[in-house]
Amino acid sequence: MKHFIRTFTSAAALSALATVAMADVELLHDKGFWSEALEAVGDASETSTGNRLVQTPYATPEQYKAFVQTSAASGEMPDLFTWWTGGVYEELIASGQVASMDPLWEKMIASGNFDASLRDFYSVDGVAYGIPLHLSRWIALYNTDHFETAGITEPTTWEELNAAAEALKAAGITPFHATTQDGWRGFIWFQEIMIRTNPEAYAGLHDGSVAYDSDAVRNAFQIWSDWYAKGYFTDPRSNDEVGDFAKGEGAIYLIGDWAVGIVEGAGMTAGEDFSAFIMPNADPSLPSSSILEGSPIVMSVSGSENPDAMAALEFFTSVEGANAWAAASGNAIGNANAAAPNAVVEKINADVAANGTIAIGRWWESVPAELQGEIVAEFNRFMLDPTMETAEDVMATVQALNADYWANL
Amino acid sequence: MPKRETDDEILARIGLDTLAATEKHRTRRAFRTAFFFMAPAVAFVSIVLLFPVLYNIYISLTKWRRFSGFDEFAGARNYTRMIDNPFFAEALANTAIWVVASMTLPLAIGLGLAILLRGAPGEGAFKNIIFLPRILAPTVVGVLWFYVYAPDGVLNRALGVATGREVDIGWLYQDNTVTGAIIATFVWQSVGLVMVLILLGLAAIPRDPIEAATVDGARPWQVFRHITLPLLLPTLLVVTILSVLAGFTAFDLLWVMGVPYPGQRTLSLAVFMYFEAFQKGAWAFGSALAVVIGIVVLSVTWVQAAMQARIDRMTK
Repeated sequence: MKHFIRTFTSAAALSALATVAMADVELLHDKGFWSEALEAVGDASETSTGNRLVQTPYATPEQYKAFVQTSAASGEMPDLFTWWTGGVYEELIASGQVASMDPLWEKMIASGNFDASLRDFYSVDGVAYGIPLHLSRWIALYNTDHFETAGITEPTTWEELNAAAEALKAAGITPFHATTQDGWRGFIWFQEIMIRTNPEAYAGLHDGSVAYDSDAVRNAFQIWSDWYAKGYFTDPRSNDEVGDFAKGEGAIYLIGDWAVGIVEGAGMTAGEDFSAFIMPNADPSLPSSSILEGSPIVMSVSGSENPDAMAALEFFTSVEGANAWAAASGNAIGNANAAAPNAVVEKINADVAANGTIAIGRWWESVPAELQGEIVAEFNRFMLDPTMETAEDVMATVQALNADYWANL
Repeated sequence: MPKRETDDEILARIGLDTLAATEKHRTRRAFRTAFFFMAPAVAFVSIVLLFPVLYNIYISLTKWRRFSGFDEFAGARNYTRMIDNPFFAEALANTAIWVVASMTLPLAIGLGLAILLRGAPGEGAFKNIIFLPRILAPTVVGVLWFYVYAPDGVLNRALGVATGREVDIGWLYQDNTVTGAIIATFVWQSVGLVMVLILLGLAAIPRDPIEAATVDGARPWQVFRHITLPLLLPTLLVVTILSVLAGFTAFDLLWVMGVPYPGQRTLSLAVFMYFEAFQKGAWAFGSALAVVIGIVVLSVTWVQAAMQARIDRMTK
C-alpha cells in the first residue's frame, strides 16, 4: 500500500510538472477561416517547444472588436490577439495596454530572418507593437490560358496594361475581375488606380489633407469609369469572386496574395493555371510599389509578463514556425529564410527583390475606421453604375463625410 | 364643551380597533405574499430589461472612447449628432416605408387569404403551406431570397422563360427595386401568421348576427362591411401592432439581403444602429439611436393601445 501511495504521488507530481511545462498559450482572433491552420501551428509549437499555441476564434469581426475594446475598457486584455494595422492599430496602442515588441524584433532581426524595415510597418512613434500574422502583397493574379489565348505577356508599363486589356477584350475575355461581394471589396480598384496615378494624393486621403473630390481622385474615377465603359470589368453583382476567376470569367484578379491558397482550393494550380504580376504605374517615374496588408499579432502588457506567451511568439516567427504556418495556411510572415508558401508568392518575392518594390498601406486600414463602411458603400454604388455622373455624386458624398470627420476630430 | 372623540377612540369604544388592526395586518401579509411571488419576476425583468434600458440611456448621454469606455458626460451631443447625420434622415425615411408596408401589405393579403380559405376545400393544406415560411429564421429566408433575386437567380430565369428573352435585373442592386424586393420577401414570410390570426378572429365571431343579417337580405359584402369587419377589429389591431413593431425593428432581412456596409436604400433605423454601434464602435451614438427607436415604438404602441381601448368600449 505504501508503495502504491508513493508511486501514485510521484506520478501525480510528475504529471503536474508536465502540465506546467506544457503550458497553453491562447491566441484570440477573428479569422475563423484560418482556425485549422492555426491548430496546425499549435501542434508544431507543442512538438517543438512544449508550449501549445491554442487558437480561439470569434465568429464575426464586429463581435471580436467589441470584445477587445470592452476588455481594454475593463483593463483585462487577453495575452495574445490579432488586430489590424492603420488607424485602429494606433488607437489600440494609445490605450497603453499593448506591450512593446521591440525586444522580440531585435532577436528576429539579429537572427537574419527578418529585414529591419519590416519592423517599421508595425511601429508607432518608433516602437513596434506587433509581429506579422501574415504579410500579403496585393498583386494581380492572372489566368495563364487567357493570356496565351490573347497573345500577351505580363504588362510592365501602363500602356502595356491597357493594351493587354484591349487584347483580352478582343479575344472575348473580360480583362478585369471586380465584384461588390460581401460589401467591403469596393475600394480595391480605387486604391490600385490611385497608387498607380498619384500615390502622394492617395496618402493625403488618409490624413484629410487631400479631398475625395480633388482632381487626383476625379482622374482615378475617370480611368475606372472609362475601363467600365470599355467593358473591361466582370459583373460587379457576382457573389462568387474566387469561383468566377477559377471558371475563367475574368483574366486579371486584383487581390492579396493570401487568396492564392483559396484560388488553388477552387481547382487552379499556382504557377501553372495562374500566376501573378505587380501592377505597373501610370507614371513611369514612380517607383515600383504594391499594397501591403499585414495583420499583426499583438501582446497585452499583462501578456508580456507571461514567458510562455513570448516563447510562443518566438516559435511563430522562427523559420520552423513560419514554415508550419505557410504550409498550413499559404501565408508568409516575412521570414526571409522560410520557404515561400506557394509558387506565386515565390515569383512575386523575386519580382519585389528585382524591382525594389516599395510597400504602401492598404486603403482599408489607412482610412479612419469611422469612415470605412460609408465610403466603401459609395464605391460599391459607383461600381454598380460606373458613370462619371455617379462618380461625381459619390465623390461629393464621400468628401462631405470625410470633411465632417476631420473637422470634428 | 365635551372633548370630541377621535376616529381611533370611536373605533376602540365600539370594539372595531382590533378588527381594523387585523384587517391592516391581513392586507400587509397579503402584500408580502404577493411580493414574495412576484419578486422573481420583478427581479428578472429588472435585471434583463429595466437595468439594460436605463444603462443604455446613460451610455447615450456619454462620450464613448473605444478602448477606455465612456469617459465623460456628453449631454445631448449624441442626439444632436443624429440631426446632422445625413444617414439618419435616410434611415428614418426607409423605416417609415418599411412600417407602412409591413403594416398594410401582410394585413391586406392575410385578410384576403383568410376570407378566401375559410371553409374552402383544402383549407388545412393551404394554411400549412402559406404558414410554412414563418417557421424559418429570417436570416435563412434572407439568404434563400438573396439567391432567388441574384442576377442569374430563379426569378430572372422565370421571367426569362415567361417573356422569351434574357432578363438581367439586379433586384438587390438597383435603387428602384431593392426596397420592393426585400419587402416582398418580408410579406412572403409574415403573411402566414397574419392569415392564421385572422382566421382565429373569424372563428370567434358569433354566427347569430351574420345569420340574422343574411335572413334580412343583407348581401355578402354588406355582411362583411357592417358585421364581420367591426367584430374582427380587435384581432386586426393586434395584427397591426405586431406588424408595426416588425417594421420598426426591421433588421435581419435588410442586413442579409443588403450588404454589411449598407447602401442608402437598405438602411433602416435598426440597421443604422447596429452599424454605428457594432461595426464602427460608436457605442454612445448607437445607444442614442436605440433610445430614439424605443421612444418611437413606444409612442406608436401607446396610440394603438388607446385605439384598442376605444374599440373595446365600442364593442361592449
